[in-house]
Amino acid sequence: MIAPEFFYAALVVAIGGLICILRAMIGPTVPDRVVGVDTLNTLVVAGMVLLGAAYDRTIYIDIAIVYAFLSYIGTLVIARYLQGGLR
Amino acid sequence: MGLIVKTSARAIIPLIGIFGAYIVMHGHLTPGGGFQGGATIAGAGILFLVAFGLDEMRKHYNKNLYSALEGIGGLAFLGAAMLGMGVAFFYNTLWHNGPFFNGKPGTLLSAGFLPIMNLAVGLKVFTGLVSALTAIALYRRWKS
Repeated sequence: MIAPEFFYAALVVAIGGLICILRAMIGPTVPDRVVGVDTLNTLVVAGMVLLGAAYDRTIYIDIAIVYAFLSYIGTLVIARYLQGGLR
Repeated sequence: MGLIVKTSARAIIPLIGIFGAYIVMHGHLTPGGGFQGGATIAGAGILFLVAFGLDEMRKHYNKNLYSALEGIGGLAFLGAAMLGMGVAFFYNTLWHNGPFFNGKPGTLLSAGFLPIMNLAVGLKVFTGLVSALTAIALYRRWKS
């Protein structure tokens, strides 16, 4: 059963995610795109938590936690590459 | 990398490791399982490599130990599959008449050999991914 208020909140987060995708597509430089993707990751975590509340499943929160960890690692790897790579 | 990244990595690496171990152990109750948990713990290894650099990783990474652990993971999976060989291959004898892992369905110690297989696959995936990424990072210099 979908709880409508959480579902509408997830819809608002999805609109923000579309704007982030726009920035990642048209960003003139590489750091612009990285910031766009990083913001999109955070919005996806928020959307996962909201959808877990909307569908009334507690176990979906685990996936949001793992996604938050892995998006941090992904952004860190790109930052490490942009500043000159390993060594 | 910088001081902030190193300090936050010191705080986050145990969190990722514990959460990955949770995913592996609860593979028969919640989403996830051996591969997903193992890949999450391998993410902690990648965070160590990225945050502390290649020299620190070379000090803490033991090729023979990781290779042996990957083989042990595969052998434990095969051993759990062979447990019910009296009836059939992959027969879940721990669940039907085993001494342990045969609790009420929905609890942690249930589901027969599935927790053992999840632990084996998690160990194999973690050691395999960390070995592969460390080997790629150590590959050679840029010019041949």
